[in-house]
Amino acid sequence: MKESFDIFLAVAQAEIKESIRARWFFLYSFIFGGAVVLLFALGITESQVLGFTGLSKLLVTYLQLCIAILPIFVLITTVRAVVGDRESNVLEYFLSMPISLGAYFWGKLAAKFLIVFLPVLVTLLGAAGWGMIRSFEIPWRLVGYYILLLGTLAWCFLGIGMFISSWVRKQEWALGLAFLTWLVLLIFIDIIMIGVMLQNQFEEKLIIGISLLNPLQAFRTGAILLFDPELSSIGPASYVILDSLGSQGFLAFSIFYPLALGWIFSWGGYIVFKRGDLV
Amino acid sequence: MRELGKKTLKNEAIIQLQQVGKKFSRHAVLDKVDLTIVQGDRIALIGQNGAGKTTLIRTLLGQYHHEGQVVVAGAHPRKNRVEVLQHIGFVPQHSPPIQMSVHELLQFSAKLNQYSNVSKISQVAEDLGLDVGEHGKKPFLKLSGGMKQKLLIALALAKEPSILIMDEPAANLDPEGRKAFFLRLSQIQEQTTMILSSHRVDELLPLINRIIELDCGKIVLDEASGEHSLAGKMLSCRVKPANATEGIHKLLNEWKFEQSSDGTFYEGQIIDADRLRFLNAISHFANHISELNIT
Repeated sequence: MKESFDIFLAVAQAEIKESIRARWFFLYSFIFGGAVVLLFALGITESQVLGFTGLSKLLVTYLQLCIAILPIFVLITTVRAVVGDRESNVLEYFLSMPISLGAYFWGKLAAKFLIVFLPVLVTLLGAAGWGMIRSFEIPWRLVGYYILLLGTLAWCFLGIGMFISSWVRKQEWALGLAFLTWLVLLIFIDIIMIGVMLQNQFEEKLIIGISLLNPLQAFRTGAILLFDPELSSIGPASYVILDSLGSQGFLAFSIFYPLALGWIFSWGGYIVFKRGDLV
Repeated sequence: MRELGKKTLKNEAIIQLQQVGKKFSRHAVLDKVDLTIVQGDRIALIGQNGAGKTTLIRTLLGQYHHEGQVVVAGAHPRKNRVEVLQHIGFVPQHSPPIQMSVHELLQFSAKLNQYSNVSKISQVAEDLGLDVGEHGKKPFLKLSGGMKQKLLIALALAKEPSILIMDEPAANLDPEGRKAFFLRLSQIQEQTTMILSSHRVDELLPLINRIIELDCGKIVLDEASGEHSLAGKMLSCRVKPANATEGIHKLLNEWKFEQSSDGTFYEGQIIDADRLRFLNAISHFANHISELNIT
């Protein structure tokens, strides 16, 4: 057991080093870190929209940015993890070493999670720290909840990415499928497709079902719910969801659903990886 | 000899394949292969492209699902992969584009392989002519083809594997590297079962004692090639050019030959396993050589 854990750590360590070496990591960190710097620089904390000011306003805006770009960044960087190694024969070589398949898969996944989540975490904590220096009132509950939300969202899309990566045999297919997944999920959030469905009087259960199934919708609604309990700033679909689950219930759902979805896809990916030809 | 579990397997089957089949899109790449390999077998696995050599190797490494039964070192290579792969040293035909630095790769491999460590790998690499200290910080990817091959061979040999599987292992090595490589193989041939895949069996003849040829996924030839215990023997060689050409000088320099003080002849040593390759290389200058002695 200890040996397996050591191998898991060795794989994770190697993956982290490789990701740090790669340019995308710096681009990724720059975009997510730079977004907050830019929001501060633009004076977003001074503006007042829908009654939100200070750090809350910045966090709300930052989360709106994250909903669009975090999933696609996570997917793009993850979907090549297995299929890319397979195509380049790196997998053939590494898996000729005494590495258990579990240690290899989960080691890679854990490392990728750290790599995608760490810049976001540092950014949020950095924003809170900067807010303290600027003597803003720090909404710690909001900051904590947003960290959880972003963590579970990253985990969810990491699981989806690893599943796709284990399942398909060509990198182009993996990238195409990842992009398609992101696009479909993005379309089915309240401001786009669900709004249209409501306007066209689709059945309520269908709309609720689609909304609940979409981790992006759960993230978006959960993110706004904390400072806008009435959801006045969001489209009509979220009212329907809120009526079904309640405020606290939905907050819990928006954390646990993406988390569960991430686990389901990760396990699915692992099973596909383990049961198929490795190379 | 390293023991496989509690049992030493000298002259016992270390690899056994029974009715092993593998299909890709309904096309049989391995077709009901039966094969027994015993400890001490040194096999040249030959066959044309698409004959099934790589598929067979990957099956032995537990990387493919297959029909039939495969037992390697007493266990199934897929179900007991960690246990089985501790006994196997593998060198792929094409060096994978690994991003890790040389030093990181050494540490990674040493962590995973029970019998390996960084200093042992460095020593084997140095024997092959690769200074790991000098190239430690370079990404593996940025090394030359020959350096990559030397490092992969060093990683495999430092494990002191019971089974050595190599796919065209000497293809990218320079003459010095090849000499060290063949010498090393000859030193471990008693305690190591070798499967050496190659297009050119003549190069492997001094090392091997069995030839297996695959064609369309079937074994079409499986015979003993006779014991050639001369694989590690060094041969003295003297070349006297009829006229000095830049080509001969360059070639013999590559093979680390030394020119006599009066400049009339060259002397050097080649390893027996490399004799054919040397003769083939020097035959291009046959018209310019007046004397050639190999003893």
